[in-house]
Amino acid sequence: MTEKLYQIETEKAIAKIREVNAETVCIQLPDGMKPYAQEIEADLVRETGVRVLIWLGSNFGACDIPLGLDRMKVDLLISWGHNKFVKKMEGW
Amino acid sequence: MDILFLDAPYSGKVELCQETLDYITKFKKVALYASVQFVGKLERVEEQLNEIGVEFVISKADRASVKSQLLGCDNYHESLNLKEEFEAYLYIGDGKFHPLALVYGQKDDKGMKEIIRNDPLQEKMFLMGVDEIKTILKKYKGSLVKFLSSNTIGVIVTIKPGQEQFKPALALENKFPGKKFHYFIDNNVSFGQLENFNFIETWINTTCPRVGFDDQEKFRKGVINLNDAFLAAEILANDSLLNKS
Repeated sequence: MTEKLYQIETEKAIAKIREVNAETVCIQLPDGMKPYAQEIEADLVRETGVRVLIWLGSNFGACDIPLGLDRMKVDLLISWGHNKFVKKMEGW
Repeated sequence: MDILFLDAPYSGKVELCQETLDYITKFKKVALYASVQFVGKLERVEEQLNEIGVEFVISKADRASVKSQLLGCDNYHESLNLKEEFEAYLYIGDGKFHPLALVYGQKDDKGMKEIIRNDPLQEKMFLMGVDEIKTILKKYKGSLVKFLSSNTIGVIVTIKPGQEQFKPALALENKFPGKKFHYFIDNNVSFGQLENFNFIETWINTTCPRVGFDDQEKFRKGVINLNDAFLAAEILANDSLLNKS
């Protein structure tokens, strides 16, 4: 259902994985798309052979990037449901 | 590490339903916003507004990437960067989370501009106003009062780079030299841990500004947002919806 309502854009994800030669990818999904993690993982693995780690936690926005991914040797984070966030350094 | 953001745009048609078209003609000018899933498909909505003679204004909010995009954290009116006058908000999208930001954003105003939510999935119109947040505003006002009389304050700072506001929070010490501020760091706010720090009288939230509103009930000692802390006395003296709650 979610796949029909909202475009997953797997082809963009695959293109980026190939562009940066990623070996390990973390996928971060909003709650409504989390049930589709399995098929997104399958598509990415089939097309690129990448290792996929699924972020279990929150995805409140582009401000909510998981920490510690470097320790897991993640080369690329793909975060769905948001676009680039412009942080105000001086506060809200 | 590289990061790729994918908008997950809505696949269906984005247009105003008949209910919205009938209702919105009572306004001359509206401010038009949408969540990221819908913001790229507003052409038909704009056409419809032109056809029925309702003017619209748009803006690029402080933290958004594109014009007309509304983020959940745009819950302070000035962050929308709206320069023109208008009579109501028109929000395109599903769910209440994003348009609630427009309700919170008017808490310090005398009156509330109506928020017309047009949901393209349900093809329905919903109206939103101050009633949505009355209970929260009451508690928030209580937290502001409590903050002013508290001596020991817990400042919650997230270590997530997109949300971390440690440096702006340090300015509290100059503004309120008589208070003692303790800084707590966390990834997500661990609500279950708050009570363990029983010496804290009131909390200040510097993470996502929605935490100070939506999660107000999870803070038994009360919580206010950082920018409201700096202006607590002024906010409480305003002729505003907050103070009427």
